[in-house]
Amino acid sequence: MSDLLGMFQGLMNGFGIAFTLNNLMFALLGAFLGTIVGILPGLGPAATISLLLPLSFKIGSPVTSIIMMAGIFYGAMYGGSTTSILVNIPGEAASVVTCIDGYQMALKGRAGPALGISAIGSFIAGTLGVIGLTFVAPPLAEFALKFGPPEYFSLTILGLLMATLLGGTSILKGLIMIVLGLLLGSVGLDPISGAIRFTWGFFMLQEGVDFVTLAMGLFGIGEILYNLEKELKTELVTKKISHLWPTLKDWGESKWAIVRGSFIGFFIGILPGGGAVISSLVSYAVEKKVSKHPEEFGKGAIQGVAGPESANNSAASASFIPLLTLGIPGNAAIAMIFAALLIQGVQPGPFLITERPDVFWGVVASMYVGNAMLLVLNLPMVGMWVQLLRVPYAILAPIIVLFCCIGVYSVRNTVFDIWVMGIFGVIGYLFRKFGFEPGPMILAFVLGPLLERSLRQALLISAGSPWIFFNRPISGSLMGVLLLFILFQIFITLRKKWSKRS
Amino acid sequence: MKKIKKIGWLLACCSLLLPLSLAGAQDKFPSKPIELVVPFAAGGSTDVLARLVAKFAPKYFDKPLVVINKPGGGGVTGTEGVVRSAPDGHTLYMGYGSGHDLVMPHFQKLPYKTFEDLTSVCRLSVHSILMIIRSDAPYKTMKEFVDWGKKREQVTASVSTKAGSVDISFQAVGKTTGLKMVTVPFRGGAESVTAIVGGQTDCGGNHPSEIISHIKAKRLIPIAVALEQRDPAIPDVPTFKELGYNVVTVGSVKGVAAPKGTPPEAIRYLAERFKKVCEDQEFIQAMKDIGQPVMYLGSSDFAKYMKEGFEQYGKLIKEFNIKLE
Amino acid sequence: MTGEKKIEKWNRISGFILLIIGVMTAWGSTSLSMGKFKHPGPGFLPFGLGICLIILSLILIFKSWKKEISPTPLWFQRTWLRPLLGVAILIFYAIVIEQLGFILTTFIFLLIWMALIERLKWKTILSISVGTTIVLYLIFAFFLEVPLPKGFLKLG
Repeated sequence: MSDLLGMFQGLMNGFGIAFTLNNLMFALLGAFLGTIVGILPGLGPAATISLLLPLSFKIGSPVTSIIMMAGIFYGAMYGGSTTSILVNIPGEAASVVTCIDGYQMALKGRAGPALGISAIGSFIAGTLGVIGLTFVAPPLAEFALKFGPPEYFSLTILGLLMATLLGGTSILKGLIMIVLGLLLGSVGLDPISGAIRFTWGFFMLQEGVDFVTLAMGLFGIGEILYNLEKELKTELVTKKISHLWPTLKDWGESKWAIVRGSFIGFFIGILPGGGAVISSLVSYAVEKKVSKHPEEFGKGAIQGVAGPESANNSAASASFIPLLTLGIPGNAAIAMIFAALLIQGVQPGPFLITERPDVFWGVVASMYVGNAMLLVLNLPMVGMWVQLLRVPYAILAPIIVLFCCIGVYSVRNTVFDIWVMGIFGVIGYLFRKFGFEPGPMILAFVLGPLLERSLRQALLISAGSPWIFFNRPISGSLMGVLLLFILFQIFITLRKKWSKRS
Repeated sequence: MKKIKKIGWLLACCSLLLPLSLAGAQDKFPSKPIELVVPFAAGGSTDVLARLVAKFAPKYFDKPLVVINKPGGGGVTGTEGVVRSAPDGHTLYMGYGSGHDLVMPHFQKLPYKTFEDLTSVCRLSVHSILMIIRSDAPYKTMKEFVDWGKKREQVTASVSTKAGSVDISFQAVGKTTGLKMVTVPFRGGAESVTAIVGGQTDCGGNHPSEIISHIKAKRLIPIAVALEQRDPAIPDVPTFKELGYNVVTVGSVKGVAAPKGTPPEAIRYLAERFKKVCEDQEFIQAMKDIGQPVMYLGSSDFAKYMKEGFEQYGKLIKEFNIKLE
Repeated sequence: MTGEKKIEKWNRISGFILLIIGVMTAWGSTSLSMGKFKHPGPGFLPFGLGICLIILSLILIFKSWKKEISPTPLWFQRTWLRPLLGVAILIFYAIVIEQLGFILTTFIFLLIWMALIERLKWKTILSISVGTTIVLYLIFAFFLEVPLPKGFLKLG
């Protein structure tokens, strides 16, 4: 009990630190920068934090610099969903799922509610995440350590199979897209063996295809090319833009999605590597399964936005846990924060909470503050964003194309990437014509390397025995869920066929 | 609309006349910020070292040091970028002496010549290779580990980067001890530490800076180090050699290099200033806190050291018949 | 979304394309070492994926074979023209940008796009092209300091 009291006191101290004018200012700055970074293609939160690191030394206190960097991190999450909803271009991998229903909502004139519920859901999820962090961080982090290669493999396969639910109406086509995405992910230098795969002699492909290039091409250019077929003289959204804010009805439909998403995101987000992406996938799948109107999904179901957006935000909060409690960075942006801490003489690890409680609790409190700031920043901007959709598509389309080109170019400063993007643009266009959804493909692309790595590492550890995936408790349970999931799907499909016959 | 058109034209003309870049007169070195390229991901031990040096640099350098991460290809991509950059001393490679410099060339051809296309500036630190085990493992010393391992079909070791210095050293350990040592590669030091802390493998190979907090937390125990003599940062840890296993390496060396053709005055300037940083008391203490020893060595000595280290790895590979699978 | 029934013929075509990709993948993977189960090599997963693709595409072809409904054509009345133009202008951008530099190429891109594809009024085209080029330049080159190509005129 005294432990709980101690934590509460720590948190209060943390708030005291977070609410200083200096720290508040930097939290706002970070959130603002992060949002911009999330919206603009090409630059990611990790790169931004890296650029700002030297600045962070001058700020002085390590707490302040982490507060700013955490702001950037969260802001990027928010910004990424903005482009997903407005123009169907995912800002980062965790926002891909948001594209599906978010963009459909925008097309129906409901961009405002989509953006709004996304912001609100993210806020609630982030807050729940911080609460979780406060109270269950250490034991949860220990649990996360038990995740080794076999567990990651099982989890990733489970996530990918859930992505088949994103494949529109045809699970077969969804599976095909997943396989294609996995193959695309293996293009380039194989890190484990050093062999070069599927590059056809193009040196530029040695690092593999970049996510930004694929996303801009498949989603951005592909969508525009598809829309060019119709002579859209007017705006993209011809339906009158109804409410700017989510209605009470929207709220009622989404609130449980938000709660579920928060939990899913929190627990999966703790796992180093891939947490936010997988959690958004799982959240979408859960919402679709739990919904009374699953046929709405893919056409603008608000739960399809509320759930995944909440999931990826609480995953972002949760990804700080391994850093703060074990000293293990879970993804690139957190790794930068890790480096920044080290340089300022702070050792993230199990002793952080006792040695530098000001840093630990200051960070935790500021995460809460950062989330609140983002809500305050973003909600008013919803109106502004929605106006963007009013721009005649004839003008908007080439501008979006340019954005994609520059964004892609800014990653590696090479025109080659623009070509690759163009090719994927054509592919994305053809996919839409032939009735394939690009969503599962890009998700498989992102998760593919993790899947393969884990598979090979696991087999090395088990000396070739595939049983390792089943006789370890966590991996075994995940595989069990996987099997149940597959059986369930088969059952449903068969039942549909039988009912058709009779 | 007419007015807008006029303004539009005016602006267009202005923008065309805008920044015609002034060719800067560049005779004093350094004339602009110096790029320190780290060919690994952010947050790793090399990256942290670079950023720490950059933090102290303003005291001794006339222009700031900017750290740039260019991961990929096990370190080759970023290094190649430096090799191909303009040899004016403003682009430097941080991490000279890492696995892809001393080990990889023994196995495969790199797109550049490590010793000819790069000029040594100075050495900053050496990251020794440690064998670590979990504190709750059923073995507590190297000898116990070997005895335990002999009874099993294989022994796993988590390492960063396939065919890196750690990987090769551990394969050598496997050969000398007679254990079937299977190295499981992860993406960099941080991931491999996570693996051993989580007990995914039987032992792990890491640098002191990667595990210092875990040693303090008594989760991990280093049981041997692959050096000629004991590492001063962790003097209680015996060398493999002392224990009877002749695995001796220079570890993973962290130095600075410039592309071939960089003017000697620039190299001299850089080496001098880096030396000053290495003599700064605060820097030394900060390095100590993160588990990295400050080990400065000047240009020509360092070049010699690199050659020796390279040959030593070559010998190790030959002696133990280590192959890339 | 087009009804599933109407695109059966296209499913067959896409199925065949995918089948070819699957075979090529599996074939290509064999040249990469596959390793053994104990020690999977780089060709391990791609080969497996190639096989999966072959199976899935065969299922797709099989399912579409049974239904011989006359499909809606994919393109009609030259709807393919505008997307093709779009692609062409994009290709132009990629080819020319490093020669002419960002500012000029972007400007020309916008001009051509709005003129050819959308056929807007000249006044609109010019003002938007100029304004957008400037704004984009300011955001990316100035504010974010992204290195953009300067072309042989060294603009920027």
